[in-house]
Amino acid sequence: MAILSVEHSDQLYWLGRYTERVYTTIKVFADQFDSMIDLKTEEYADFCKRQDIPNIYTSKEDFSKRYCFDEEDPNSIYSNLIRAYDNAIVLREEIGSETLAYIQLAVYAMNKAKVSEAPLIQLQRVVDNIVAFWGMADDYIDSERVRSIIKLGKRVERLDLYARIRMKPEELKREMKRLNLRIDQSGMKYNTAKLAHLNYLVEVKPIEYAVFVEEMESLFDMEIEKKAAGF
Amino acid sequence: MQVEELYRYSDTVNELLARYGVKFGIYKNGTFKEQLFPFDMIPRVIGKDEFAYLEKGLKQRVTALNEFIRDIYSEKKIIRDKVIPEEFVYMGSGYLSQCEGVMPPKGVYTHIAGIDLVQGKNGKWYILEDNLRIPSGASYPMIARDLCRKSSPATFEMNALEDNRNYAKLLRQTMDYVNTGGHTVILTPGRYNAAYFEHSYLAEQTGAHLVTGSELVVENDNLYFVDYSGKKERVGAVYRRISDEYLDPMNFNEESVIGIPHIYDIYRKGNVALINAPGNGVADDKGIYYFVPKMIQYYLGEEAILDNAPTYLPFYEEDMKYVLEHFDDLVLKDVAEAGGYGVVFGSGMTKEEKENFIHMLKANPRRFIAQEVIDFLDINIYENGHAVPRKADLRAFVLMAEEAMVWKSGLTRFSRNPDSFIVNSSQGGGFKDTWVMAE
Repeated sequence: MAILSVEHSDQLYWLGRYTERVYTTIKVFADQFDSMIDLKTEEYADFCKRQDIPNIYTSKEDFSKRYCFDEEDPNSIYSNLIRAYDNAIVLREEIGSETLAYIQLAVYAMNKAKVSEAPLIQLQRVVDNIVAFWGMADDYIDSERVRSIIKLGKRVERLDLYARIRMKPEELKREMKRLNLRIDQSGMKYNTAKLAHLNYLVEVKPIEYAVFVEEMESLFDMEIEKKAAGF
Repeated sequence: MQVEELYRYSDTVNELLARYGVKFGIYKNGTFKEQLFPFDMIPRVIGKDEFAYLEKGLKQRVTALNEFIRDIYSEKKIIRDKVIPEEFVYMGSGYLSQCEGVMPPKGVYTHIAGIDLVQGKNGKWYILEDNLRIPSGASYPMIARDLCRKSSPATFEMNALEDNRNYAKLLRQTMDYVNTGGHTVILTPGRYNAAYFEHSYLAEQTGAHLVTGSELVVENDNLYFVDYSGKKERVGAVYRRISDEYLDPMNFNEESVIGIPHIYDIYRKGNVALINAPGNGVADDKGIYYFVPKMIQYYLGEEAILDNAPTYLPFYEEDMKYVLEHFDDLVLKDVAEAGGYGVVFGSGMTKEEKENFIHMLKANPRRFIAQEVIDFLDINIYENGHAVPRKADLRAFVLMAEEAMVWKSGLTRFSRNPDSFIVNSSQGGGFKDTWVMAE
């Protein structure tokens, strides 16, 4: 079995999270953008609030442009893709050049979308490359642990985002089930009490989304686990 | 099929190189940028017999250089016998007093050497520079060959050439030969290093682990890789891609944050192999270069097979006189610089610049060497569908395991500027594959 350092396991986890963040935020953004076409309201303000990002935008046009492509905006999809790239680039020997290539291609597609006359359509190519990256990771990476850490990051991020955008309870339950299946395979240490609480929260109606997000953020906080165990 | 046929696939291959992130890093105005390394499809082609001659000369040269380093850090016979003046050894930036009396595993100091050559218009090859510290560049032709074969298989069916994709195997053999027991790792300063692509690609291709200093720890006289569960795995060989001075803050530059404290102490005890060996830069100093043919004679009792470019050391009175008389015909190199920096052509200076330079030269003659400007054999590159001649060099790679092995390929770098001799990637140069014919 391949040896894996703390640094690399962390990078794999965040690679999973950022690829998922790019994938889901493009999808959510596309839906939001579609509804804004017909409305004059500033729906994006609500979008920012739910995502817990500052509303720095001046109009729906400004939002569409900067939220997607602004390199200086740390919350833009562009910035999140670059973070995915920053994590991927240092993992070549773990994930392989073939897998890494799809992140590189996603960056090229993003740069093309940025200057395109139809950026939304071009953003689909970013999504295509992210999906291809996950497919290649599944097919190409020998180490189950490496694959599992990426997938764990992906699952955690998806749950976090779904909770923030108040996704239907069934969706959260489905994703929670997938997280439960993956978390032990990753070998990463997590807070078992937090996981149990998260499982409880998706069963209770109405779901307390804000609490869920808070709990998800501290799932890997081992200090809490140690205190709970009386250390 | 003519190799020019390959040009048809130029866009495809360059697209693939971009896909796989074949880049190098560069700092411009304090900002790190990644750039694609421009690739010209038309290879440099070296015939079988011609390469056999180069191979023999390169093995001879690197074997002598290895002997020289061993001698300098032990008996110093070559200094005692007055073959090389001691100031050229001890005043060079590559000499490290910490290496005195230290013998690396299996006596190998020059595991991976990158020897720069140029071919004159008369067809004769000259050695331009020995790079023994952390030479880079092998990964580029290696991946380019792979992509060219995919793009135009017919070209490779019709041309019998040596497969250069075995570099990873040679490198692994080199690392395994000196491994003292445990894992093999490639130590990188991190992703903002100019050659980071190469570090990560070689790790992938050799199956070594790519690590940064923070992932390694010295304990109980051994080096360990700490895995994410806290388990420690012993490391027996480190192909370090960081300079000597940053390798170990306890033994070299104390401000280094990318090194591993005490790694040099356990290397000294023979508990880990460092590839290349610390202190080996004593042999690739531009001032020492002048003496390599003498070294070959001294250690191996042979005449050098490959010649140096005609070189003068202003340190010697006679040479200083020659340099001043022929200043406009010479290229002057600062021995402390690398990467194409610190190279000036006498003919390219204004009157004032020349006066200033000569003043500096007289004040510190040890700092410079002067070389005849070799009329390189131009090789064609393709620009916008047309063949245009450009200056190019060849970096040959010699790896040392049980014996010296020459990689049957090399990195051909060319200047994209028609008026320039500088081929370094950091200064806008591009690269070609180097074909060594098998028949």
